[in-house]
Amino acid sequence: MRFSKFLKVEAEIVVARYALVSDETKSRFEPVIFFHPEFAKRSGVKEGDVVEVEANGRAVKLKVKLSESAPESGGIIPNGIFASYLTNFDGFKRFKANIEVAEGEPSSVGEIIERVKP
Amino acid sequence: MSFVCPGCSCLCDDIEIVDGRILHACRRGEEIFEKYKENRAKPMVKGKEVDIDSAIEEATEVLKDSKNTVIYGMDTTTVEAQQLGIELAEKLNAYIDDNSSFCLGEFVEAILRKELPTTTLEDVRDRAYVMVYWGANPFHSLSRHMSRYSYYPRGAKRPRGYEEDRFLVVVDVRRSETAKLAKKNAKFIQVDNDDELVDSFFKVMEGKAAKYAKEAGIILNEMKKSDLNVIFGGLGLKYGLKDLGKFVEMVRKMNEVAPLYFIPAGFHANMRGFNETLFEKTGYVNKYSFKDGKGDVDFAFTSLLQNGKVDTAVIIGTDPVSSLPYDVASKLKEVKTIVIDPRMSPTARVADIIIPSAVSGIEMGGTMVRSDGARIKLEVIEERDVNDIYILKKIEEGL
Ligand code: SF4
Repeated sequence: MRFSKFLKVEAEIVVARYALVSDETKSRFEPVIFFHPEFAKRSGVKEGDVVEVEANGRAVKLKVKLSESAPESGGIIPNGIFASYLTNFDGFKRFKANIEVAEGEPSSVGEIIERVKP
Repeated sequence: MSFVCPGCSCLCDDIEIVDGRILHACRRGEEIFEKYKENRAKPMVKGKEVDIDSAIEEATEVLKDSKNTVIYGMDTTTVEAQQLGIELAEKLNAYIDDNSSFCLGEFVEAILRKELPTTTLEDVRDRAYVMVYWGANPFHSLSRHMSRYSYYPRGAKRPRGYEEDRFLVVVDVRRSETAKLAKKNAKFIQVDNDDELVDSFFKVMEGKAAKYAKEAGIILNEMKKSDLNVIFGGLGLKYGLKDLGKFVEMVRKMNEVAPLYFIPAGFHANMRGFNETLFEKTGYVNKYSFKDGKGDVDFAFTSLLQNGKVDTAVIIGTDPVSSLPYDVASKLKEVKTIVIDPRMSPTARVADIIIPSAVSGIEMGGTMVRSDGARIKLEVIEERDVNDIYILKKIEEGL
């Protein structure tokens, strides 16, 4: 077990369209977050880890990928159901979130739908 | 024969299908053409599959009983269907709104009200020199924008294309893929607060010191080399600005230096069509109440849901469960939801009534309006009789 699993770090999240993860048939949406490599290194997070991303009192689990296009102090969550679940209009496309390495599988679209309309 | 891709507001009209292969489309466009038969919606009422006419009849009955209806979406359907949707809203004395109320609607409104000068993408291709992508990353959001219309093409008056005849400016809070292209004859401005850059342009024009004085000075000087310069403003600009009026004033003032135009960058394929169609009818681009005879921020789909002002939502060709914050999307459980959509989207999955429709540009023809206002005619690959026009007409007749 890595030490970082016990640490929560604050990250700047940008929500942006990410053509490579959306599916135009609307049947799936990849639960992924793209961290800047420097941020990932500082935070003890590796590509392939699952992290819990918490903002506005809600949390989702996303799989970590790395991208140099991400903000240096955080990451990008692609525009879509996972980002929308975390945001409010105040900070709709850019917000602060708490990140923590997590156990288990990333969240599914079905899980979020279930929370929207139980 | 060429087809029009309905994947985004570029509406690329050069898509060819040869031996089943989709040519010229970007990844998203290719997927739209290749997979249009997948994940199709089925007619359903309260979780039970029914025939299409029963679903339409049930929706009509719900609308007859509704006291306060909102019609929402229609940014992926045709202008002809949008006209019917607006007619239906009028007949129901309902509210009507689309994604543009939290997307780039206010920029389109400023263009239609002639507050922001605009131009066409063909003129950009042929003549533009300075092109500013502000809060937009076309690499992901409008994948062929730069190759078809702006930076890369060799235009009539810009024969040397990006190598010598373009000056690229990218403004973003991060070094996006598009920002990484800003190397030679280019400038990347990493902002934390977009208003500070607006302020810097004003100050430089007044000869004063400013945070981004160097960058603003270079851009203003480069603009003088051309009779056509353009800002493509995206969602990053919309959410980065506190005061749209100040931005509009900045563009006006920069026009005293050299001609500068604005084109919104990036939205659903026919969002601008919705804005223009509603504007022609009511003088407002979105957030309109037929009951009150005016547009207002309180009539935005999001406000109506959050304030409990509606009992029924008709959601056409859009997916608020995926695109709106949880606080808004979760309110859908408090209203009767009728979804008209070709696909079993997350919103369709929480709907009370689902009416499956046709994919515009593949199964239904008609007109869409590109981001710059050009009207584009859609071709059909495989006509489907039950489309948005059929469904909306049937509902209206049944009321
Ligand atoms: S850029 Fe937009 S319209 Fe053009 S092929 Fe891609 S998704 Fe379709």
